[in-house]
Amino acid sequence: MTNKKIIRVLIVISALFLGLLTHLLYFNMFEAESVATNPYNRRQWDDERYVTRGSIYDSNGVVLAETTTDDDGNTAREYPEGRIYSHVIGYYSKVYGKSLLERKYDAELSGKGDIGLFQGDKKRGFDLNLTINNAVQKYAYSQMRGRRGALVALDPSTGAVLAMVSLPDFDPEAKSLEKTWGNIVEDENSPLIPRAIQGLYPPGSTYKTVTLAASFENGMQEKVFDDVGEFKTGDVTVENYNGKKYGEISIERAFAVSSNQVFCNVGFDLGSEKVLSIARRFGIDDEVESDLDIAKSRIEYKKMTDTDGALVSIGQGQLLCTPIEMAMICSSFANGGKLMRPFLVDSVTKGNAVVQRTSPKVLGQAISEECANYVGLQMVQAVENGTGGNARINGVTVAGKTGTAENEKEKDHSWFIGYAPFEDPKIAVAVILENDGASGGATAAPIAGNVMRKYLSLVD
Amino acid sequence: MIKKANYKLPAYLLVLMSVIGFTLLCAANNWQANVLYVGIGFLGLFVLIYSILVLCRMGDKFLVLIAFMLMTVGVLMLCRLDIVMGARQIVWIVVGAIVFFLSYSFFYNIRFWNRLWLLYALGGAALFVLTLVFGKTVNGSRNWISFGSLSFQPSELIKILYIMFLACKYSGSFNKPFLKVHPTFVTGIVTYLYILFLVLQRDWGTILVVFLIFIFMIYVYEEKSWFLWANILAAVVVGILGYLFLYHIQVRVGVWLDPWSDVSNKGYQIAQSLFAIASGGYFGRGIGNGSPDYIPEVHTDFIFSAVCEEMGVFGGAAIIILYFLFAYRCFKITLNTQNSYNKAVGLGLSLMFSLQTFIIIGGVIKFIPLTGITLPFVSYGGTSIAVSFASLGIMQAISALEERKGGKEE
Repeated sequence: MTNKKIIRVLIVISALFLGLLTHLLYFNMFEAESVATNPYNRRQWDDERYVTRGSIYDSNGVVLAETTTDDDGNTAREYPEGRIYSHVIGYYSKVYGKSLLERKYDAELSGKGDIGLFQGDKKRGFDLNLTINNAVQKYAYSQMRGRRGALVALDPSTGAVLAMVSLPDFDPEAKSLEKTWGNIVEDENSPLIPRAIQGLYPPGSTYKTVTLAASFENGMQEKVFDDVGEFKTGDVTVENYNGKKYGEISIERAFAVSSNQVFCNVGFDLGSEKVLSIARRFGIDDEVESDLDIAKSRIEYKKMTDTDGALVSIGQGQLLCTPIEMAMICSSFANGGKLMRPFLVDSVTKGNAVVQRTSPKVLGQAISEECANYVGLQMVQAVENGTGGNARINGVTVAGKTGTAENEKEKDHSWFIGYAPFEDPKIAVAVILENDGASGGATAAPIAGNVMRKYLSLVD
Repeated sequence: MIKKANYKLPAYLLVLMSVIGFTLLCAANNWQANVLYVGIGFLGLFVLIYSILVLCRMGDKFLVLIAFMLMTVGVLMLCRLDIVMGARQIVWIVVGAIVFFLSYSFFYNIRFWNRLWLLYALGGAALFVLTLVFGKTVNGSRNWISFGSLSFQPSELIKILYIMFLACKYSGSFNKPFLKVHPTFVTGIVTYLYILFLVLQRDWGTILVVFLIFIFMIYVYEEKSWFLWANILAAVVVGILGYLFLYHIQVRVGVWLDPWSDVSNKGYQIAQSLFAIASGGYFGRGIGNGSPDYIPEVHTDFIFSAVCEEMGVFGGAAIIILYFLFAYRCFKITLNTQNSYNKAVGLGLSLMFSLQTFIIIGGVIKFIPLTGITLPFVSYGGTSIAVSFASLGIMQAISALEERKGGKEE
């Protein structure tokens, strides 16, 4: 009898030990990574004593981030361009940890896996060479200054990021960050969010480019629509911008003047399935694996009706896109329908040796080349004879589309997406100005036009 | 007929592990010979003790092997932390070995241990009073007594006295009322008196060990099930009251639930321990490559975290499995023992080893709230090593008695 009970006690003890083993393995599998990277874990900074963190350069070798050591051996991470890159490179603080590139490329910057010999008394981490052009970035920043929103410029043929601005921003230098952290976190404008890659907005009329592509695929370009100024079905009413009525109108003209009614009709006629299918081909509802922390653009319906499809077709409803996603969509019209993976780090180098180089990657063929050219042509019309007039550049054919997106706040977002030159696209831009109140054609289009002009003047 | 397990192979394995371990550590320390001297001393001790054990047929051959395996890891880790500490641990192991042989021969040869219940109870209480009067506070617990430069932790010894006392009652030797109080109640009164002393010393880990031993012993031996339930109920009530009114307990439970909200202050210890384990990963950062010196109390209570950091989670898991094997072996000896007093002592010691290990490892990996106690055979410290060896000696004596005499009641 006693032995029987002792065996039961042994079983309980065995269970306790099994609990220890399970917990230890569970901890290591699911919790260890976030615990190890906790900023209070001093081990993360141990390497610093032996390794000078690598620098970050723009596409022309301009220093964007470097680690300096003073006479006493204290190191500091410095950002010569200041806040202009706060939402590209991120911050590096012993108190608040690391973000964006500083976090994503931490292993490379601290020289992990470098089996090279020590040079002098301290090892040096790898350097990063970005695709960003500092001159364009600075210019874009000056254009956006004082606003809230984001600008993304991509090379449409590769997906390389040429400029990326998110506002409001912060001073990334650790000392100032640690001093102002409280204010930054509590600021209701959330300056810590890199809006260009993580801000989710309704894309408004810029999304009509996608709907136009879907209508082309379904042979709707010959159809003539009767524009009475508003789209009505069930309890949903959508009016044209400023209540305009265009009467009998072709889909191409409706695109140039950005008629909501016509594009709601197109979306309704296509049906929710086709609207969803083309969105997915453009990467919406899909995680984008890249060296940028891109939030997932999404269409959030439990069950999508054709009316929902009509709203999504004009970039409203439950459709939310990041600015970089819109720049990717715009690029695919410029490059013959390919969805390119965006990337920021061109190469990882050590001195003259290239350790790792990013090659452009096609995520998928969103639409046919024919369809892409058709939409591109209509985007040229929208700039030349439509709402996007302010994006015109002397001597260059610009393709573009404006957008004015309603949102839960009172004032609309202003959008513009576009690329140039139409014949041989070199740059694709997406601009959003949050709660700007004006139309995309009035405020966002000129910024995009200026940035494209600046870039083209540099590369030619 | 099942082939009897061979004890020679694991012994060679242990020698091999020590040779590799100490040589590598020596290499990592720029070939400082000190590490090798400690290693040679340790191996010599093992060979000496184990030869005596085998030649004199002192009972079970595996307990000592497992204990030395654990000590190998402990001494290696201590040498890596501080070579002086590693060398001193060897001195403590020498002391422990002497205690081991003394406790073995006392327990083996003296036959009236089961009649001394009053002596154990009073001895324990006297040690408590001494601690309260002369004790000094270390890490929030007032459980140390110093004689000049030597310090001693009486609560470690009290655990053995307490187990001997409980065994008197539950082997039936202590069965007559004392001062008209039924023995069942005497055990209850002594237990709660000890716990009260431990509360005064703020030694929460030992409270858990003592109380859980008590509960398991009641479960196994007490025929009246109401006594078991009454004690569990009392524990629950006292636990809740303690949580509501004792700041120390609130803090401990609080940081167990969420150590991250106050990492720099209250959650500091457990957070440092978790950082170490998390940074080690599955295979560890390698001996000498980690930063275990960031962990507070790393040479005693938190040594398991240091092992995990440098030898990995698999290394930590191996330690847990070794402790489990040790506990299993103790339980097995207990089950085979016929002598009822020896059986009760064996059960108590088995429980002491397993619970103490569970409580401290569970604490440092945040499986249960953290209460500081030492990890038997691995933690640095004279008292801990000596008391672990004393218990091991008793366990050996029990198994030897069983092997020789069939353990008949006298």
